[in-house]
Formats: sequence, C-alpha cells, structure tokens
Amino acid sequence: MMDIWTVLEYGAWALSVIFGAYIVLDWIKTDSTYSEEVLTSSREGELEAMTEQHKL
Amino acid sequence: MAKYIPPVQSKIGQLIDVIVLLILAVGALYIPLWMGLAGSSKVPVPMENPTWEALGQNPTMVEQWNKLGFADAASAADMITARFDYSFSWASLIVMVVVILGYFLLMMRFSESEYREVIAEKFGEK
Amino acid sequence: MATSATNAPEKVGLLRVLGPAHIWALGVGIVLVGEYMGWNFGVAKGGAFAALIACWFAGTLYTCVAMIDSEVTSTVAAAGGQYTQAKHIVGPLMAFNVGLYLVFAYTMLEAGNAITVGYLMDTVAAMTGHSGLDQRPFIILSIMFLAWLNYRGVLATLTFNLVITAFAFSSILILFVVTAPWSDASPMRHAELMTDLPYGWLGVLASMHFGLWYYLGIEGTTQAAEEVRSPARSLPFGTLAGIMTLLIAATLTWYMCVGLMPWEYLGGAGVPLFDAARLSGSSWLVVLLGVGTLFATLASANGCINDASRAWFAMGRDHYLPSWFGAVHPKFRTPYRSIIFLVPIALIFALGAPLDQVITFSILSGLLEYTFMPINVIMFRKKWPLDTIKRGYVHPFHPIPALVLLALCSVTYFAVFLGYGTQLVAMVAFYIVVSLWFHFWRYRFVNRGAQFTMPWPRPKGY
Repeated sequence: MMDIWTVLEYGAWALSVIFGAYIVLDWIKTDSTYSEEVLTSSREGELEAMTEQHKL
Repeated sequence: MAKYIPPVQSKIGQLIDVIVLLILAVGALYIPLWMGLAGSSKVPVPMENPTWEALGQNPTMVEQWNKLGFADAASAADMITARFDYSFSWASLIVMVVVILGYFLLMMRFSESEYREVIAEKFGEK
Repeated sequence: MATSATNAPEKVGLLRVLGPAHIWALGVGIVLVGEYMGWNFGVAKGGAFAALIACWFAGTLYTCVAMIDSEVTSTVAAAGGQYTQAKHIVGPLMAFNVGLYLVFAYTMLEAGNAITVGYLMDTVAAMTGHSGLDQRPFIILSIMFLAWLNYRGVLATLTFNLVITAFAFSSILILFVVTAPWSDASPMRHAELMTDLPYGWLGVLASMHFGLWYYLGIEGTTQAAEEVRSPARSLPFGTLAGIMTLLIAATLTWYMCVGLMPWEYLGGAGVPLFDAARLSGSSWLVVLLGVGTLFATLASANGCINDASRAWFAMGRDHYLPSWFGAVHPKFRTPYRSIIFLVPIALIFALGAPLDQVITFSILSGLLEYTFMPINVIMFRKKWPLDTIKRGYVHPFHPIPALVLLALCSVTYFAVFLGYGTQLVAMVAFYIVVSLWFHFWRYRFVNRGAQFTMPWPRPKGY
C-alpha cells in the first residue's frame, strides 16, 4: 500500500536528484564558459576589505 | 634571498594528491572500525526477572519510563544496568601523551623553519 | 582572460554581503543542534550532574575560545579563519593541519546532522504507525539541498540559517516557559529523578568528552571573515553574542531534560529535547520541538557546508591543496568546487558510519584545533604586541584564557582517552602522516612570501 511515507521517500529521492543535477550541470556550464585564470583569480587579502588600518 | 618559484602542478598530479588525502582520511576513521577497536560500548548486567525495585527505580522514575514506552522493568533493564568500563592501563595513557606531544612538537618544529623562510622572503633578510 | 564569456569580470572573489546577525546565525546555527542531540551522551558517561559540570567547564573552555578567536580574527579578515591565522602566526605546516581540522570537524558534524535528520524522520514515521522507513533518501536530500543552497550564494544561505536558527532557539525557550518549572503544575521531577554520580568523579571527567558538544562549532564564525561587511566589528560581536546564547540554551536544555527523564534513558536518547516535549504531555510542544530539531540539524549542516568549503577553498587558493579548488563561481561568488567536492565525502560518512563515531571524529578534530588556539594567541601577542597592530577586539586577562583553555583541553584528551583511545591515536597518527606528506611533498607548490597577505609589520624576533 502506498502510504504518505512511501510517497515522501520517493519525493526525497527525486528532489535529491534534481538538486544534484542542477549543481553538476551548472558546474559543467561554468567551467566551460570561463577560463581557469578567471575562475581561480581570487587572492587572499586582495579584497577591498583591507579597510582596517593597522597603524596606531 | 632569491624568490622561490613553485612548480606548476599538472591536473593529474592534483588529482593524485586529492586521492592520497582521501584514502588517508577515510582510513583514519574506518580502520579502527574494521579492526573492532572503535569506542567503548556499555555492557549490561543481566538480571533474572528484573523488577523496578530491584533496578533501583522510584515511583516517579517508573512513571517516566512508562511514558517513554517502557511498559515493564524487563524492557528497560538492559538500559538501566549497562555501565561503561573506565579501567585503563597507565602504559596506554603514556603512549597517548607521547603521541600527542610528539605530534605538536614535530609540527611546531617544521612550521617554524617554513615560517622563517616566509618572513625572509616577505620582509627581506635582516 | 575569459575565452568566451561576455562581461566576465577579470577577477572574481567572494562578496562582502553579510552583517553581524548572519555571523550570529552561522555560529549558533552550527552548534545549536548540540542541544537537540549528542550532548546527552555525556549523561551516559557520568550521570546527570556530571553532564552539568561538563556543560559549564566546556562553557568556560569555549568562552576562552571565543575571546581568543575574536581578538585574532578581528585582524585577520580572510576566508579560512583559523587556517589563515595559523599561516600568519605559527607557520605553514600548522596552517595545513588547522585547515584539515576545520574541514574534518565540520564535514563530520554535517554527516552527523544528516544521520539525525534520517533518525528523526524514522521516529516521526514510527509515531504515525509506519515502520521500516528508508532513512537514506532523507539523509541524501538534506545534504543535497543544503549544498545547492550554499552553491547559489552566501547571503541566501545564511539568511535561511538566521530564520531556522532563531526558530530552533525560540523552541527551547518556549519549552522552558510552558513547562514552567516555577509552578506546582510543572511536569518536572528533579527531586525524584536526580541520582548520585554513578561513576564518581571519574565519570565527570569522562563526561567532558561530550561536554564539548554543547558548543562545538562556535569558532566557525571566522570562516565568514571574507564575506562580512565589517569584519573587525561584526566578527567579535557575532561570536560573543553567540557563545552567550549557547550558554543559556545549554543550561536550559540540561535542566529540562534531567527533570523529565531518568538519566539511564537520557544518556542514550537520539533526540532528547524531542523526548522532553513528548513527556511534557502537550502535543503542540511535540510538533514544535520536532520542527525545532529538524531546523537545528539543517542549520548546523548548512553552516558546516559553508565553513568546511571556505577552509578547503582557502587552502586551494594558497596551493596547500590542488589549486583547482581555489575557484570562485563568477555569478554566485561561492567557492563552488570546494562545495561540490565535500558533498560525496559527507555522504560517505553519513551513510556508512555510526553516529557516535562520526561525532567523535568531529570532536577530536575540534579538540586539536582548540589546542592550537592558545599556542596561536600566545605567539600572536609575542610577535605583534598590542602596540604594533590595531585589533578590533582585545581579549582581557591575557594569558589566563589561553592557559585555562590549554588545561581544559588536556582534561578533554583524557576524557576521550577513557572511551575512544584507539580513535584518538589513529586520528593523531593520521595527522602525523599528512604532516610529513605536506612538509616533504606538497609544500613545494606553495609560494613562500606571497602567502603572507596581512598588512602587518615584520614579526618581532624574525
């Protein structure tokens, strides 16, 4: 008998696949659209963030 | 000091490094599990025909056990009598202390030599 | 430059979009699940009173952690948190180890949360008369959904966390108010349920192992350092407000649970606050705390994905790990490859290992991290005394918090040794092996001077 919990199980499987597929497809799309140099261009401490003055 | 130029790692090399790390990490968790050395489990003390009184439960405790779904003393007996075994050998305690201290000392030593190199390149030799 | 993208920025980095409330939500969100499950294993270890003593000792430990961390992080505004601190203050190998502590502590905690979601679903299903629920789809869904949320951007992720964390915290307060311990009608039975210490004082020591669980993860607030708008103010504020919230939540949780359940049951309960609601005799409280438990586990897993991926990303960016992981998504501005990579790792442990083992793995990594912190802050004060760089927050009574923290860590090592000595040694052996691997192999790919990125003067004595 299909009770509510069986439906929920199938629903959870289906949603997992959808979220997973979204991530993988976007990942492939992003990696093929942009060059590796752009994607890995982030550098620590380079953000406009360094607004804190380290002088007293 | 001459600036150190690191080699560029190939894609295959990157992949191998990740796999090595993964094997080590999964190994660290699962090897104790497989060898059956993992953790301490509680050992229940078997009791013939347990009653709530024999288990040292007062009426309030019995009432709460009942509400939690344990209708009679027998169903809760294992849970109530189970105890951890905290006996340990001094030898294994010493092994643990040596391993942890050794680890931190090794790490501080290597870190220090690497750190001096970083500071020398960043700020110039003194 | 970009090959085919139009309007692609030449440089992509993380975005500064978060406020102090998000920091609070990140810190408390990761930890609050510790009140909903896991802390009560400390009751099994030494009895109800031992768990309270452990709760307060661990609370002291974490207050030291929060103060020390606030000072250091208010000057180190970069993703990676303690990893970046270690890199600037102690040295590269220490930083590599700290980065791994962070990733393992959070990924294991995430796995533990997913296991709890599955267990909670099974419990609710059993209450409605459905036995034998397949927990796996719910475990996988919780990880996939949160990974997707994290992938899509940090602001939505932590705003979501703020909402569900506030709900879960309020649920604890509501349960306390409704069970009204001050009135005669209260269902609490402390006088009749409390017992002597079943293991004596040794049990109190053993209990410290799970005492950490009340607070484990609060130090993760620093991972948001690169994404918060005003790190020097927001990080100390969010972190210290977080530890205060948790001290309240932990003590209330202990009080309610030991007043409702015999300690032998409480010590093994999967979802103790939910059980407390069941015993309160009110069905709407059962629903409230059930939802609270679910939200707390999701908030924690969510924060864990956020923090673990930042630490992994920061290490990739410095080439401590393969540089491939140092990528930022040009649109969502998240470390997307690190987020993706950690999903299967979390799934392996969530689906394949027992909960107490996963929790122990997480606690041990945390414990090694807390041992690093006093070393870190003592060296920080020595290399850069207070008059050399400006701090957003200066912790009081230095070096007492550092020494207290070190002493409490030693006690906790002993507590872990009493129950899980083999794992402790296996774990440290793992870190020794990877340290050698890093020092003799991996470090060759790392730039030397360039990894020191803070605008600080030359450290004293170098």
